[in-house]
Amino acid sequence: MCTGRVDPALVAGAFKKGLDGLLVVGCYFGDCHYISGNFQARAKMDFTRKLLKHIGVNEERLAFRQCSSGEASVFVDLIGKFDEKIRELGPIGGGGDRLKAPEIFEKIGTAQAVLAGEKIRWVIGKRTPFLESGNMYGEIFTEHEFNRAIDMIIVEETEVQEILAKLRQGSQSVTDLAKALAIPSERIFRYITALKRKNMVTLEKVSGRSPIFQLAPQEV
Amino acid sequence: MEEKKVLIVGGGIEGVRAAAQKAGAGNHVTIVEKFPTLGAERIPRDRIVTPDNAFENPELDKVRNSPNVEILTYSDLKKATQNDGKVLAKISKKSLRVDNTKCNDCKACIKVCPVNMYDDFDEGFTFRTAVDYFNSTTGEYNIFKEDMPVCQRTCPVNLDIRTYVGQIADGKYLNALATIRGRLPLPGSIGRVCPHPCETACNRQYLDNPISICFLKRYVADVELAQNIEPAYKTPEKKHPEKIAIIGAGPSGLTCAYDLARMGYQNITIFEALPVPGGYLWVGIPEYRLPKKLLKREVDLIAAMGVEIKYNTRVGKDITMDQMRKDFDAVFIGAGCHRGLKLQCPGEDEYQGKGIVDCVTFLREQALGQLPPAKGKLIVIGGGNAAIDSARVGWRMGFDEVYILYRRTKKEMPANPWEIDAAEHEGVILQYLAAPVEILGDGNKVTGMKCIKMELGEPDASGRRRPVPMEGSEYTIDAEIIVPALSQGTDLAFLGENSDIAVNRWNTFDVDDETGMTNVPGVFAGGDVVTGADIAIRAVAGGKKAALGIDQYLRSR
Amino acid sequence: MIYEKNRRYIIPFDDVPADRAVMPEISVDERRGNFTEVETGFPEDVAVNEAKRCLSCRRCLGCALCWAECKPEAIDFGIKPREMELTFDEVVITRGQDNAFEKINAQLGFGNYADVITDLQFERMLSPTGPTDGLVVSPHNGEIPKKVAIIQGNVKGGDDHLLSSAVLGVNEAILAINRVNDLEVNLISPLCQAFKDKFSDDAKKVAGLTIIEATPESVERPQEGGPLTLTYSQNGGSKKDDFDMVVVLTKPKIAPEVAALGKKLNQDVI
Repeated sequence: MCTGRVDPALVAGAFKKGLDGLLVVGCYFGDCHYISGNFQARAKMDFTRKLLKHIGVNEERLAFRQCSSGEASVFVDLIGKFDEKIRELGPIGGGGDRLKAPEIFEKIGTAQAVLAGEKIRWVIGKRTPFLESGNMYGEIFTEHEFNRAIDMIIVEETEVQEILAKLRQGSQSVTDLAKALAIPSERIFRYITALKRKNMVTLEKVSGRSPIFQLAPQEV
Repeated sequence: MEEKKVLIVGGGIEGVRAAAQKAGAGNHVTIVEKFPTLGAERIPRDRIVTPDNAFENPELDKVRNSPNVEILTYSDLKKATQNDGKVLAKISKKSLRVDNTKCNDCKACIKVCPVNMYDDFDEGFTFRTAVDYFNSTTGEYNIFKEDMPVCQRTCPVNLDIRTYVGQIADGKYLNALATIRGRLPLPGSIGRVCPHPCETACNRQYLDNPISICFLKRYVADVELAQNIEPAYKTPEKKHPEKIAIIGAGPSGLTCAYDLARMGYQNITIFEALPVPGGYLWVGIPEYRLPKKLLKREVDLIAAMGVEIKYNTRVGKDITMDQMRKDFDAVFIGAGCHRGLKLQCPGEDEYQGKGIVDCVTFLREQALGQLPPAKGKLIVIGGGNAAIDSARVGWRMGFDEVYILYRRTKKEMPANPWEIDAAEHEGVILQYLAAPVEILGDGNKVTGMKCIKMELGEPDASGRRRPVPMEGSEYTIDAEIIVPALSQGTDLAFLGENSDIAVNRWNTFDVDDETGMTNVPGVFAGGDVVTGADIAIRAVAGGKKAALGIDQYLRSR
Repeated sequence: MIYEKNRRYIIPFDDVPADRAVMPEISVDERRGNFTEVETGFPEDVAVNEAKRCLSCRRCLGCALCWAECKPEAIDFGIKPREMELTFDEVVITRGQDNAFEKINAQLGFGNYADVITDLQFERMLSPTGPTDGLVVSPHNGEIPKKVAIIQGNVKGGDDHLLSSAVLGVNEAILAINRVNDLEVNLISPLCQAFKDKFSDDAKKVAGLTIIEATPESVERPQEGGPLTLTYSQNGGSKKDDFDMVVVLTKPKIAPEVAALGKKLNQDVI
């Protein structure tokens, strides 16, 4: 199988199960049997690392390296170095990461939802056309600009998926969500109104002075 | 009564009311509104409401259903010109990019769109996505795509800042330079002197500080220099034979020539009165801000495209305007503002040239090496960039003490704040709230100036507080040279007498918004002779506009 | 933190804040007596870092995901704008629905606190088709307020402005009180004579609304998570009161391009 098919959501799933490190080893650029599979692999692992960093996991736990099937010593060296690095970091959710267990696993769950989501998968798939031939308007992106687009989705989708995950556990007020998620309540308010606009969240009831919001049936 | 055609600009509550009235009187009404919906469901501000009727607007229904009203939403009024009591309007109805007759409001697109944006209709209470409905009651799904990011829109020449800054971030410096040169032939010069309106608009300022866009432009220009690359500006194979004269080798004239050469015009002649190119960039911007060597190189690159620059050729003296119009198919006037305005205080005329020298002359003569060595003290009067430049130049020339007198405070000073700071830092003595009263002299030359202290009174028409003299606060500063740096004006003597080119009351040209053409067909103008003394990048924009106008004019002949 | 200024929404990226690059310069001692260029230019690493600060401001990415998702095939990037040239006998120029407003006294906290909102935003909130379905909630914490202040943001805006904004304030109070149980609304503004003559009596009849003729001075949140404290001056004295939400009355402003059009066609903007 090609490294280009390693699904970022799968990577997040592995970390969620308690994996301490994941090394993806692909063939050299130019040697790909599927022409551009390894480029895709690198792009996917790059933004997965970015997302891991954003949520508080040390991004060194995920690496993309290259070697050919005939290079046994190179392979051994790669594994050795990566092994050393992970030993240095220790178990996931320990001293090597910004977030600690068990919160880290909940966050990785959010990351998995982001990575499984359509937005990021679609836009990542557009990387080559955006950089080379342009978007729907014929505008060619710089790499920096494309990275910013990915950063934007990471920042916003992580927050939205966290809110949706909490609401899946039961209906909540804006204040409750803010307390549970450590996101400023005014941002939560904005996301809730936006989700309402998309028919993904509805007002369940007003309890005292607190409007309580729930997931729309089709989102549960 | 005869049916009239009425254009209503704006589809808010006032626009809808006007439309209802005009249509009711039997006229044919067209409403142009820039948003995708009419916005007249508003709480009244002229009567007390009851809760159930607060948002009702019977006029809106009337307008929506009237056969006499055409509603153009999501439309811009591009241009309106008055002619013979009629108004000719160019209107562009933007594309919603969504066929709302097919849309079934399933909201699938909104759910997946990765871009959140400010929601205009709800005053920012929620996000809209790039594809979204506008008004929840009337729908109007649309894909909102701004033409340009805010930096690019603010830049007078619409440089593609997002792209070239991104290219620098990617390490592709020469590509970035090529992007800039796509619209601006003087990146190294402008990258040093521009007061960068783009940075003032930059969105990053709301998070921390704006991007240093201007210096990044300079950076890529410097990379090319450091790598000793000599680029050649390309011109197309297909050439146009028409002859074009350009008056002034300043930023607007050079840009106009550059753009025309890139369109394939090969007979372009620039007439320059001075022995040097660059206009105010050479003789107004001091060497320590913009090295002449660098400016010369950028001009040489333009000249190498086949543009001839005739130095020491003053129009009106060495060639008349009439002759030029006969010899050339089109003329572009980019003569700039090279006349310093007077102080209007006693003693000024008496000592003109005997110690009084206006800032334009002072800076020009310094740049051309025509000033005598510095001796004694120097006073500069004024608060603009030219005042700061004059003072910093004087300080470098070695005057014992250099003063700037400004009648308001630092806060009101029109000069760029970083320039004011630099002058203070270098030891220029800034006296705020002070104004000249009289030039003092010994009959042969200036010996000093009588000044008076000011205080700030009530705001004037410009919104700035008006300075008022404080009685009895006069004092004297000794000085050998006094440089009034108040404002600059045009010098249009080159037009000659009985010129048919119309000049307005500011002694500048009124030109067509789109083509830069004056009232005389074939004669165009741009830069400071149109705008009055202004920043270089706007002069560049004037040159670009005229280049397009000239091409359009010559190609349609 | 609020990421909206001047009607723009800006993402709080991970690399915010970051310092803006400083242009290196030669020392003052090196400048006297010569014309050496003062600014020496960015080194490469500084330039690249500075460029990386660029937010590449958002727009439609042109990714066409919406197009791929749209079952009825309504989305069409190829629909062209329509250009028209029309002739008219008469032109009426209006403000449109830009909803631009004159600068509000910065002390009143608009832009700093999410629960200090404009009368225009409150109008949207009160609209049955608005973003909250007509629910009156504080955008700060999503809770329904008990006590709301509607305050004048442009005390020197002139009598016409004081009149129309006060009437709008009363109307918004009527709607809010109608929507929310036990809501107390204070309208705090200098009042013009016309308002007192024409509307005071009706306004006094609104249960739950108190009109205070005073000048709002400042709004602060002394305690994180607590209410907003409004300071206003009345008859030469200074008073303070706490509110769950503050609505600022704005003075409409004519957008510069509309004003320019009016000037060009010699017409007043209505």
